Amino acid sequence: MLILPRWATDCLSRADPALAARKHPFVLWEKQKGAMRLAEVDLHAASLGLFAQQNLSDARALVPELEAREIDRAYLEQVFADFADWHSNASPIVSVLMHRSAYGDLCLDITGVAHLFGGEAAMLEKLTGRLRALGYTVNGAIAGSIGAAWALARYAPGSIVEGEPDEALAPLPVAGLRLDADQVSGLEQMGLKTIGALYGRDRRALGARFGKLLVMRLDEALGQLEERLVPRLPEIERHAERRFAEPIGLIDDVLMTANDLAVRLAQQLEGEALGAQAFHLFLYRVDHKVMSLSVNAARATRDAGHIGRLFANRVERLVGEYDPGFGIDMIRLAASSLSPLASTQVGAFDAHDGNGDLDRLYDRVASRLGPLSVLRSRFVNSHIPERAVKLEPVIARMPDDPHAHAPVSAPRPIRLLPAPEPIEVSAEVPDGPPAGMTWRRVTYRFDKASGPERIAVEWWTPAEGELTRDYYVAEDRDGRRYWIFRSGLYGEAAHPRWYLHGFFA
Amino acid sequence: MRPHDSTTIDRLRAQIAALEKRPALAEDAVFSGKADDLLPVPAGMLHEVFTDEHRNSGAALGFALGAARPLLKPERPAILVMQLSADGREMGVPYGPGLKSFGIDPGAVILTRAETVTEFLWAIEEAVATTAVAAVIADIASHQHDIDFTVSRRLVLRAAATGTSVFLTRYGTGREASAAKYRWKVLPTPSGSPPFDARAPGPPRFAVTLEKGRIAGFSADWSLLMDWTADGFALVEHSREDSQPAHRAAPLSGADSAALGDRLPLAG
Repeated sequence: MLILPRWATDCLSRADPALAARKHPFVLWEKQKGAMRLAEVDLHAASLGLFAQQNLSDARALVPELEAREIDRAYLEQVFADFADWHSNASPIVSVLMHRSAYGDLCLDITGVAHLFGGEAAMLEKLTGRLRALGYTVNGAIAGSIGAAWALARYAPGSIVEGEPDEALAPLPVAGLRLDADQVSGLEQMGLKTIGALYGRDRRALGARFGKLLVMRLDEALGQLEERLVPRLPEIERHAERRFAEPIGLIDDVLMTANDLAVRLAQQLEGEALGAQAFHLFLYRVDHKVMSLSVNAARATRDAGHIGRLFANRVERLVGEYDPGFGIDMIRLAASSLSPLASTQVGAFDAHDGNGDLDRLYDRVASRLGPLSVLRSRFVNSHIPERAVKLEPVIARMPDDPHAHAPVSAPRPIRLLPAPEPIEVSAEVPDGPPAGMTWRRVTYRFDKASGPERIAVEWWTPAEGELTRDYYVAEDRDGRRYWIFRSGLYGEAAHPRWYLHGFFA
Repeated sequence: MRPHDSTTIDRLRAQIAALEKRPALAEDAVFSGKADDLLPVPAGMLHEVFTDEHRNSGAALGFALGAARPLLKPERPAILVMQLSADGREMGVPYGPGLKSFGIDPGAVILTRAETVTEFLWAIEEAVATTAVAAVIADIASHQHDIDFTVSRRLVLRAAATGTSVFLTRYGTGREASAAKYRWKVLPTPSGSPPFDARAPGPPRFAVTLEKGRIAGFSADWSLLMDWTADGFALVEHSREDSQPAHRAAPLSGADSAALGDRLPLAG
């Protein structure tokens, strides 16, 4: 758990050299109910007795040389998100806890990671040390549960607790349980000032008096209730990474590295007889931002060449947006959505089946044009023509609806307009096809027609203003055939309207 | 011609074909008077399917799908229909149940939509370069001028290399330089009537002209009438439909209005 109490002011001073060189205290203010109140104060200002929620003019009276700026929350939130993502170079699962802190606290799941840094103590030292070197005020702690780590990082920074955290938490104030201010003051009034004082108490009474949240937070801190981390980045199941001594910038270099990493990842997956459907490329920039690119495959794969090509296609689309900043110092290629993929033997007499090639083609096209550009028709249980078929991405294939209607023997057009277009008809005979129509300002005369095919409203699907449709196949003088319908029966609607819905071959 | 002369000629033909990057078979397509022999032509060719107006888009797609259907094989199980998204909104998108009633497995038809013409051309080339695709049908309703000779030449070479056929459905009466091996002109034609119902439209009927490309025994200026049936294209016998082309040639002649006048007694 890493806590950055002065993150906003630290971050701005890093971004702005004029602020970094300042001699005066620095605060950020924001408008609240018409008053200008302090939102964030830096270390210097805090030591002079300024605090958040103070009136800006009061603060100026206390500290005349105060450097004050209006806060830009949207910008800070975005920078914090990048900042949090950057920490995934230490551990793959990074989440941001939003309890009782303006931007959130970074929570890293370091299970099975610490040994890479030479132990937990060394890891904590390295993570906090590198942030301090960058000018951030940071406190950190390591514990077995999220709640315990949070309390320790706030009130006993630097501690590392293994096993049961009961003893380590006992002397800490109750505010360490992520409670709101009312609950904390209530507890303190009752003389329950430390977490340890809560240990032996009747849980039901505590819950009734201070709310269920207190009991829940206590259990979470003591590790009796499991709390889940919500990782910011997609969960990574296997990955390969490369760090660079010198940052790289060119997109070609990035793609080359991605190809190398794909080969390594493929070997890793092959060893475990696995294939993956989603691949993510994370580019860690030296200025603490992470760019990520994801591609999906229609079927589980571990073909390095194919993965590399998918990324190359995706990048081609992004050329304008790619911005390496001051360079990229680490690239990680990760795979998720794993599934077993046994190696197959190429048989001498097997009929070559093109489905594998096709799936790779769909992957390539979808990686460049977007997943919604390669579509297949899925039949749905409906007899309203436009609902009977759903166009769905080929790479996210779903089985056909088992209740989909048997193919109707009535004619269906080969092209369907996305929305029926209103037409003007001439010489209509009740319950017969019209003699002609005007569509897109051109008049057509029909020589032949057949119909009607009556399609009733699906009363079980709620839709306003739908009417029974009578469909006709009409052929004009030149042999073009149209699928037209009248919306509403005579008598059901006052003036039934006519629409053109599709074209036959 | 001595026997070894003909083998020499065959060998030389194959060499020329290899130089030109196309299957030598193409010259051997022989038209024997049946539509089945006209279509399919050998795989791995670039076809242009021209029709005069955008509103004939149903006929153009139908002809291309009909010509592509025999190319479906177990090792080439898909037909890709490619469109620009804007064209799809204007002219409609292929409709699954309609494909089924046309006689094509809707599962074999994959629709690809691109936003820009660059991506569109890239996607066509990518699909043609795959050996698992039976045919690529690209609907080029707008951006006609971006499909120039270079583009078509690239497609010809790719198609010859992989054996994937390409059908470009194009609209309008202008013809630009193109490397396409075959250029068809397809127009919808009033269909024959199904038995027992003179007023209902019958199976789709196309007037097909081969404007470019050589099929032995088939003269380029013939215009054939073909019906699309469950077994594929079928030539409409001229004896039965003799009067039909004459009507089309002179739409304002007396015969035509007489035919119109005849409709009333027919309708009874």
